[in-house]
Amino acid sequence: MNEKKVKIVKRDTPGALDLAKKTVFLDFIKGLSITLRYNLSRSITIRYPDEEKWIPYPRFRGAHTLNRDEEGRELCVACELCVKACPTNCITVVPMEDDTGKGIADRVAKVWEVDLARCFFCGYCEDACPTTAVRLGRDYELACFELDKARKTKEELLKPQSVPEDFEGGIIVQAKLQRTKSGIKVKPNLWKKKEKK
Amino acid sequence: MVDTAFIVEVIIIWIKVVVVALVLFSMPLALTWIERKVAGHIQVRLGPFRVGPHGILQAFADMVKMLFKEDVIPDRADRLLFKIAPLLMMVPVFAIFVAIPFGDKVTLPFTDRELTLYISDMNVGIIYVLAVSGLAVYGVIFGGWASNSKYALLGGLRSSAQMISYEVVMTFAAVGVVMLANSLSLVDIVRSQSGGFWHWNILYLPVGPVWFFIFFIAGLAELNRIPFDLPEDEGTLAAGYHVEYSGMRFAFFMLGEYVAMVSISALAVVLFFGGWDDPLGPFAFGIPPILWFVAKVMVFIYIFMWIRFTLPRYRYDQLMTIGWKVLIPISMANVLVTGFMRI
Ligand code: SF4
Ligand code: SF4
Repeated sequence: MNEKKVKIVKRDTPGALDLAKKTVFLDFIKGLSITLRYNLSRSITIRYPDEEKWIPYPRFRGAHTLNRDEEGRELCVACELCVKACPTNCITVVPMEDDTGKGIADRVAKVWEVDLARCFFCGYCEDACPTTAVRLGRDYELACFELDKARKTKEELLKPQSVPEDFEGGIIVQAKLQRTKSGIKVKPNLWKKKEKK
Repeated sequence: MVDTAFIVEVIIIWIKVVVVALVLFSMPLALTWIERKVAGHIQVRLGPFRVGPHGILQAFADMVKMLFKEDVIPDRADRLLFKIAPLLMMVPVFAIFVAIPFGDKVTLPFTDRELTLYISDMNVGIIYVLAVSGLAVYGVIFGGWASNSKYALLGGLRSSAQMISYEVVMTFAAVGVVMLANSLSLVDIVRSQSGGFWHWNILYLPVGPVWFFIFFIAGLAELNRIPFDLPEDEGTLAAGYHVEYSGMRFAFFMLGEYVAMVSISALAVVLFFGGWDDPLGPFAFGIPPILWFVAKVMVFIYIFMWIRFTLPRYRYDQLMTIGWKVLIPISMANVLVTGFMRI
């Protein structure tokens, strides 16, 4: 049997230096100077609904939009690829024939609906689309009081986006809180940039 | 016997009492707002911002909320004690201000009456202040006891132990100041420090700063503020002694705590920082002394808030160790040194 060696761990006795540090409250002074520095520094709060709003980068995946080409024709050809690609099954597309030139081909969507309450913004629909008709835009204020309002129809999706496609984004801009009949909106003023470090 | 001079005197005292009480009652409104702003900015936030410009009306909104809240009294609480506990906490901290001098005599404009900027100049002012401030702990203990809740009771008990330990230390610090000023009257203590900041007790080297630190630490403990806020330690006691209180009664406790903070700040200024004395002494350029007093008190209030959002809370045994094993021996040694210096 080998004897168990007991190792005696000696606790460091506080040296004279530690004691001196304690008597002049060095640690406290360090801590206090840090908090004082923060107290005087600028806050990083975004005053979101009232005065400022974050505009996301173009890569941001927010609510869907349906695009048109330069001549204003609907790009969607109702191929239903997005429906197939969608993991949550939240897109409904019903095709119809149309040769009035509303769309880029003679097939357009009669119904194009997405249920944002089920969508998890993966962006597969946008990848699947052969004509880049469906895109995930930059709107992120999607809360609503009734569940039906979360279903976006084709008419709503075809409207131009609140932030234009070529806007750079990734910045905080001035904004205004607006209460209207249809709900509360935060309207950004895209050209009034707010600096924040 | 009752002549006009006497009546005028009584009226003046009444006016002074009412003014001081009103100022003190409205103080917590401002202080809660300032405290939340300081907290916000230290944590790189903005603090309250939505009620009024920069959230300045937040305190009023809170007050309205408190007024409309249900006043819950727990089932098996001791109803009488439960109801009077907040008042027991509040009254002593207001009573402290009877003795605190805010300024020296001023001559009223258009009359040649002299007005003293303190309610009374007791010749034992400092003893009165210490005695009365010790009473405030009854509110805490009764609140804890009457709630019939473990957490509240533990909070109350902690508070009483804390008060006993630190009252001793606080008294020692006061003894030091009394030795330096040769007087128990707060007005005389301030007068003995007049003539610029180099006459202040804090700069009476080497004992002044030590007395101040002793006083300051004891003051923090008496105020139940971080780092010594064990009676209301959220981590272990939910909210401590006021865990069962709601609505206006809770607000009274808060009011009491804020006014106590003002009183300890005022006391620190009076005892160590020359009260209303102009720091520039002979080179003063005519800022009214009362403003100096207010400014110094504000600095102290800021320091209390600053410390609150910097330091973590001490453990209970550490609190007791600091009190009995560190501060009291230092105080005793300091009494000796001060005594030798005053020979
Ligand atoms: S983003 Fe994903 S979940 Fe949402 S509709 Fe497109 S494919 Fe479906
Ligand atoms: S949005 Fe694109 S993928 Fe979906 S149906 Fe229209 S064209 Fe096809």
